[in-house]
Amino acid sequence: MTGTATRTVPRPGVRWLRRALRNPTLIAGAVIMLVVLALAVFSPTPYDPFAQDLDHGLAPPSPAHWFGTDQLGRDILSRVVAATRTDLRIAVLAAVVPFVVGVAVGLVSGYAGGWLDWIVGRVVDTFVAFPFYVLVIVVVFAAGTGERGIYVAYALVGWISYARVIRAKTRSLCRQGWVEAAYGGGLSHTRVVGRHLLPNVLPQAVVLLMTEILLIMVAVVTLGYLGLGVQPPTPDWGTMISDGQLFLTTKWWVSTLPGLAVVTTGVGLSLLGDGLADVWRLR
Amino acid sequence: MRWVGRSLLSVVPVVVGVVLCVFFLIRIVPGDPAAMILGDQATQASIDALHEQLGLDLPLGTQLWNWLVGVFTRGDIGTSLITSQPVAGLVWSRAGITAGLVLLAVGFTVLLAVPLALLAATHAGSWLDQLVRVVPTIGMAMPAFWVGLLLILVFGVNLHWLPVGGVGTGPGEPLRSLVLPAFTVALGMSPPLVRSLREQLLEVLDADFVVTLRAARLPRWRVNSHVLRNAAVPTVSLLGLNIAYLIGGTLVIEKVFAINGLGALLFSSISSRDFPVVQGIALVLALVVVVVSLLTEALVALLDPRIRAA
Amino acid sequence: MTFRTAAARAVAVLVAVSALAACTASPGPSATSSSTGPQKGGTIVYGRSAAVTSFDLNNEITANNAFAIDKVFEPLVSFDTEGKIIPWLAEKYTVSPDLLTYTFDLRPDLEFSDGTPVTAADARFSLERHLKVQGPLPLEAPIRSIVATATHTLTITLKSPYTPFLSELSGFSNGIFPADFGGRTEKDFFAKPIGTGPWVVQAWDPNGDTTFTANPHYWQEGKPYAASLIYKVVSDDTQRIQQLQAGQLAGIEDVAPASLEQLQGNSEVSVAKLGSWAVEQVFFNTRNAHFADRHVRRAVAYAIDREGITKATTFGAAQTVHTLIPPTIQYSADVQALDNDPAAAQRELAASAYPDGFSATLMINSGDSARAQEAQIIQAALKPLHIDVKIEPLELNSFRERFKAFQYDFMINSGQSDAPDPDGLITFQADPDGFSHSFWTHYTNPQVTKLMRQGRTTADGPQREQIYARIQQILADDVPYIPLYNPDNVVASEASVHGLSPRINGSVLFQDVWVQQ
Repeated sequence: MTGTATRTVPRPGVRWLRRALRNPTLIAGAVIMLVVLALAVFSPTPYDPFAQDLDHGLAPPSPAHWFGTDQLGRDILSRVVAATRTDLRIAVLAAVVPFVVGVAVGLVSGYAGGWLDWIVGRVVDTFVAFPFYVLVIVVVFAAGTGERGIYVAYALVGWISYARVIRAKTRSLCRQGWVEAAYGGGLSHTRVVGRHLLPNVLPQAVVLLMTEILLIMVAVVTLGYLGLGVQPPTPDWGTMISDGQLFLTTKWWVSTLPGLAVVTTGVGLSLLGDGLADVWRLR
Repeated sequence: MRWVGRSLLSVVPVVVGVVLCVFFLIRIVPGDPAAMILGDQATQASIDALHEQLGLDLPLGTQLWNWLVGVFTRGDIGTSLITSQPVAGLVWSRAGITAGLVLLAVGFTVLLAVPLALLAATHAGSWLDQLVRVVPTIGMAMPAFWVGLLLILVFGVNLHWLPVGGVGTGPGEPLRSLVLPAFTVALGMSPPLVRSLREQLLEVLDADFVVTLRAARLPRWRVNSHVLRNAAVPTVSLLGLNIAYLIGGTLVIEKVFAINGLGALLFSSISSRDFPVVQGIALVLALVVVVVSLLTEALVALLDPRIRAA
Repeated sequence: MTFRTAAARAVAVLVAVSALAACTASPGPSATSSSTGPQKGGTIVYGRSAAVTSFDLNNEITANNAFAIDKVFEPLVSFDTEGKIIPWLAEKYTVSPDLLTYTFDLRPDLEFSDGTPVTAADARFSLERHLKVQGPLPLEAPIRSIVATATHTLTITLKSPYTPFLSELSGFSNGIFPADFGGRTEKDFFAKPIGTGPWVVQAWDPNGDTTFTANPHYWQEGKPYAASLIYKVVSDDTQRIQQLQAGQLAGIEDVAPASLEQLQGNSEVSVAKLGSWAVEQVFFNTRNAHFADRHVRRAVAYAIDREGITKATTFGAAQTVHTLIPPTIQYSADVQALDNDPAAAQRELAASAYPDGFSATLMINSGDSARAQEAQIIQAALKPLHIDVKIEPLELNSFRERFKAFQYDFMINSGQSDAPDPDGLITFQADPDGFSHSFWTHYTNPQVTKLMRQGRTTADGPQREQIYARIQQILADDVPYIPLYNPDNVVASEASVHGLSPRINGSVLFQDVWVQQ
């Protein structure tokens, strides 16, 4: 430490905040995500996203309709905003179970080692080798299109990304020796894992969570394109892009603007994740 | 050699696991393939007769056993319920295209990721570095099908430089047809690799041995090659993982670009409830993924002697 | 540069790329008019949505196979662009005054593609096989006997008058093939079929493309013009259009109406339309508690704006219809239909057993963008009646399974006739005892059934017209289904391809198509 004796050392929380505020990636990501979140929560739609106007379908962007109208005359700006809530909600909800399961499995597997670790490793490999879209398609065919399929499919396979990363991290932490010391000192397994290992792997997991939410969002949009996504008339970016595909060159606003919304949100999530990783000194 | 044996031991349960999962999973979906084959006029009697003929009336366990026996004794991975063609032949005819797509995509990915990561790492902190870090982020946030659609419009329909879809025949045509789809895939696959490689490069560039190499006045490219070799290890693992995901996920790209590869066949056979085809493709894909994983591990061991010694 | 600037830059690049893509295709050279007329030779590559899975004409019903089968096998009679019956393999045909005996005179110089001459015995074998096999499009005519009364004369006697007979015979499933399958087994024959049609199957992948070569023995002089025809499978609608515009395909079928504007703006592409025999309809499951009530169905019919639906979802490629029989089929009548009258809808619902509304699920097949839009329009239209509609898109095979098992409330689907005579369509959609159970609505009306039978045995003329007019009015009053629109068959082709236009049944007469070399 090079400070003079009279300089006070700020508390860790404040230190963190200062670092965070100095990181442009985190700022950019946080700003974008706050806007997106606000749109999702408050849904400030200029028109009712379900209100049809069959005589004014496919109207180009104008002062009355900033983003133009879709095939049924609905205001696209309103639908894009409303879809923010739908798609973000689905992505976040679908990410919860995999997060919990994946971190738990990763921690336990990395901590326990041995044959348990080996089995978990093989299970993870199996899921990696499993064609993901087969699973989603089968689930959607069986359970019907819409959100249910996505939740089930991701609950089944989404956890492996966390499991791999957290397991690796756990093992490297365990190698540092203090874990053994803690256990040797009388702490139970649960305490070691829960109170000592978990807080140390959580930052990594949260950063990964950002990426996973992004991937789920993209997957939901892709399912909409395949015709297996969110049910109409609920606005959803993927279905909007898919609906406008056929007139991409003549009525570009129908597909392109929801697409931009997807990209912007994705960039926000990505920047946020990168920023957090920077601040938490993970990279 | 022990390493090879250990690897095989890890591989077998994976393949078995995938195959079993797919076998039962595909039968969850409502829909009777016999009813679909016979169409609208089917009477219950004719459906039952077809069930018997196709072996669909046997208990699941028996069906699974028969299929496994066929695979291991005759190398027969089944016969299509719809067209009565052997699945192996179907898979073989489509595998080449998908393999070509995957290989070309990996090639483009490496061509994109390595120079970008090197550029960013060697100019760490500058605007160039920031640009390289942000642009791939956008690539990840764009759904592949959307990127594909845009590329088709620009390069295929408007500029007429490349085919918009399908796989052409004639000299060099298949390759030309795969350029846009492979590039689309690469745009989505390279961002995490750029990020990972850049991080590793930064770490390595700071390492002691590099200083030593530079002090020994080795030419820049030789230093860089050493740096790259060391930095590449985690990225190669990541690449292997992404290739594994890609192999199972060519479905969407094949649809956007109208390529009749394994992904398209997978989708259509799930739609028509052609169980043997789905099982056969899943088996082949699982095997390929496993091989890729093994190759990745081998490559990593090659690059990093420390792992070999472990 | 901060991240924000970099990100903003990148987004700007993205928008620029999208804008570039949004520019219409550069106008190419205008199609040169041919002064010399049709040229011979060349290959036509035709993009289709599904592969050909079988050439067994008596056992097929779906379009992907039917329109390949009709390249190889031809029927005794055919229909023109207006649905009128015209001679085809039979150059002349007569019907006896008692409507029981049909005599067909085959063209004397007719040959199969392997050069063997066609005789009445071949025709007899073919039709008898169809009668034996039945299949999804069986010969419903009450046939007593089929006799080859001379080498090139076929006489068919019916047990009772059956007016739709010639119409049935014009279907692809009644094509003529060699007697005894030319000495081969049935399986071998349909693996490499021989017929009188303009095209011969050269290579056939049941999961992919099919290649035909011109039949050198074809009876239409000088045709087919092209040397070969390739049916290329491009299942994605957007891809087909893009491949056509990029010059990878010479022509495509099933052009999505939404893309018409884009294609019509492209000078390198020409679009051809013709009315079809299909009718897009809302079908009610009359076994469902709510929709068994006639007032409820009438309320729904009044609530829907058919013209609005047509305008919003078909982009000029369809006509609104108010009756089941479309204008392209004989005896389509002007009925008093229940259309777009919200006040009347309220009255009907009030008179029903559910005046306060109810919930229902509207089933559609997923992946069809137009249907998804239609469903949403209907959902919005029924809201004022407090009928809470939930839309359920299902993958195609699951969709079929569900409605055939009557596990649905109401659905949007398409009724299609395979023949120019109205009897086929009426039977399929109004006969509760037929295998389709009134198109799976289970609509049962003895009066309609009686009229249906009468229509079959009455000769063409004002009396028959009356019968079908009455049937249509009853159906319009009872609304077991609500006809929405009659879509056109749309095909598109490259500028170098001439003569590519659809038939009413959606097929294409490729022998009339020629390529500018």
